[in-house]
Amino acid sequence: MDSIVKLDKVIKVYRVGDEDFAALHEISLDIEPGAFMSFVGPSGSGKTTLLNLIGGLDQPTSGSIYFENVSLGNLDRTALAEYRRKNLGFIFQTYNLLPVYSVYENILFPLLLDGNRESAVRQSVEDIVASVGLSDQIKKKPAHLSGGQCQRVAIARALVKKPALILADEPTANLDAENSYQILELMKKLNHQFKAAFVFSTHDEKVTKYVNREVGLEDGRVRWDKRRNGAGSLE
Amino acid sequence: MIRWILQGILRDKNRSLFPFLVVMSGVALVVFTVGFMEGIFMGMINTTANLDTGHLRLVNKPFYDEEHLNPMDRALTAQKEIRQWLSENSDPKIMWAPRIRWGAIADVPDENGETKSQTPIIGMALDLLSPDSQELQRLDLKNSLTEGRLPQGPKEILLGYELARTLDVGRDQTITLLGQTFDGGLATDNYTVVGFVRFGVFAMDKKMALIDLKDAQDSFYMENTVTDWLGFLPSHVSDKEYIHLKTALQSRLDDLILNPPADWAKDDLPIVLSVLEQRNLDNLVGVFEMVKKIFVGIIVLLMVLVLWNAGLLNGIHRYGELGLLLAMGQTHWKLVGMMAVEALSIGLLGSLAGCLIGGGVVYYLQEVGINMGDAFAQTGMMMNDVMRGRVTAESFLLGVGPGIIASVLGSLFASVALFQRSEANLFRELEAG
Repeated sequence: MDSIVKLDKVIKVYRVGDEDFAALHEISLDIEPGAFMSFVGPSGSGKTTLLNLIGGLDQPTSGSIYFENVSLGNLDRTALAEYRRKNLGFIFQTYNLLPVYSVYENILFPLLLDGNRESAVRQSVEDIVASVGLSDQIKKKPAHLSGGQCQRVAIARALVKKPALILADEPTANLDAENSYQILELMKKLNHQFKAAFVFSTHDEKVTKYVNREVGLEDGRVRWDKRRNGAGSLE
Repeated sequence: MIRWILQGILRDKNRSLFPFLVVMSGVALVVFTVGFMEGIFMGMINTTANLDTGHLRLVNKPFYDEEHLNPMDRALTAQKEIRQWLSENSDPKIMWAPRIRWGAIADVPDENGETKSQTPIIGMALDLLSPDSQELQRLDLKNSLTEGRLPQGPKEILLGYELARTLDVGRDQTITLLGQTFDGGLATDNYTVVGFVRFGVFAMDKKMALIDLKDAQDSFYMENTVTDWLGFLPSHVSDKEYIHLKTALQSRLDDLILNPPADWAKDDLPIVLSVLEQRNLDNLVGVFEMVKKIFVGIIVLLMVLVLWNAGLLNGIHRYGELGLLLAMGQTHWKLVGMMAVEALSIGLLGSLAGCLIGGGVVYYLQEVGINMGDAFAQTGMMMNDVMRGRVTAESFLLGVGPGIIASVLGSLFASVALFQRSEANLFRELEAG
């Protein structure tokens, strides 16, 4: 199967004061369409840096990153913005919903950003709100929702434009165990329903139970790359 | 998208209320100040025009050149022909009125017929007796009477109330005017004092007398002759138009000069003047325009600085939101455009509110005015006692234009910080909340 994202010997070095700090060392990875996978590792292992690079928010020091066989290194700032707008959805640990807008408007926004008219996409928004189980909260503002509900809105917002790839940075870190499980169940369900690849960065062990693939990072290097086998365990 | 932006502005008071109040206050201040200045300025022009020069003035150049001497022999004859010519050749919105400026010595006799008091006076003769004359309204004579009545018959005179005090003359007393006739002889005539007038201009209250035009023509042997033709314009005509109306009339006047009425002297040369060219008003116009520009410039500069600062604070307040938009694929330029649309909307709404407030106050001052008679009582300036504002399109433009420009500029300056934001830090920033 062709990969949706391909990392080829990616190195990322940050300049810290007078010294270079290597955040990633020659990372090579393939991410398949519809993947449900996580980058795990302690703080400073390079998880967020990797999401940054895949999300086109940062450029590698050397090596290449391809999305659907197009090198992100060949894209300028505007083209990278378009790449994110068209192909990616983001889910954040702190939800980052727009506080003055309702659930419906928060989810509508990426579609407006992409040049759609509200009347043309209203049904899509209402459908995705139903998919995340928030139809009865659709007019509420984020301040009136629980943390779990806010994360559901964030998931709906990431998925509404039907992107090929969802990048989720610590999506369960702010949730209690029960809400974390519910959110992971929901993302798993939507992964099947929408066929979008979900890539998490996390150090939450609960996530491990749900993902099909787990890439372990340590000091910017891939330490393991486990896939779920037929028996349901990662190996 | 525009609706989405507007919803955000209306719902997020932190984002919109302060810039809205700044724009509203700035625009209201500009509209009010410019409107009030315009009102005072136009009040001065109208008072000067009504009492003295008209908005336009047709006068014989030899008379004008020695106006301070009141050279009656250089007045313009052929009154009837000139009236006809003016009605056919001038803009129909100009109302023409003939007047005679005269000077004389006023002599007040005692009960024995000997001189009790005497003083030189300046006078204006105008149509006081015709039922359709508008001169009474122009000089607001009914309201200006401090004592007595308006002239109702021949050889009746109104005196400035200070002049009456100087001459120690009472109502219904007879005074004698000693002046110069049109042909250079001595003119003497008796007039009955019927009332005293307060013009509101100290020099006029102290020296001015008014008689009917026909009486003046009779007393000074000026049949079919006047010193001035004063043209009056409706109040809605801006002072900017005076020069165009003057130029148009002056160009037509050349035909009349080439084919003059038979009664004119060889060196008679009528000229047209606008009120702004007389009594040093042109200097005042220059100062007024400069003050207006400086004032508007300062307000705009202050608004830009305050709104720039507000934009920066807004950027901090919405740091997470703007970062999120960048992460979601909004380009920097579109984000700046979005903020410009927000600023434009706030600028428009603030300007509208500012116009309503500033314009409302000016309208009130236009209709009601402030009586400053006591403050100006001892000045020589031709100003009406009641200071009025003037609602003009220009004052609204001067308010709205800078209000919107300041709002958008302030926002754009603040937006520069957006370009310095690196996408590479967005995850970290957004996670930090």
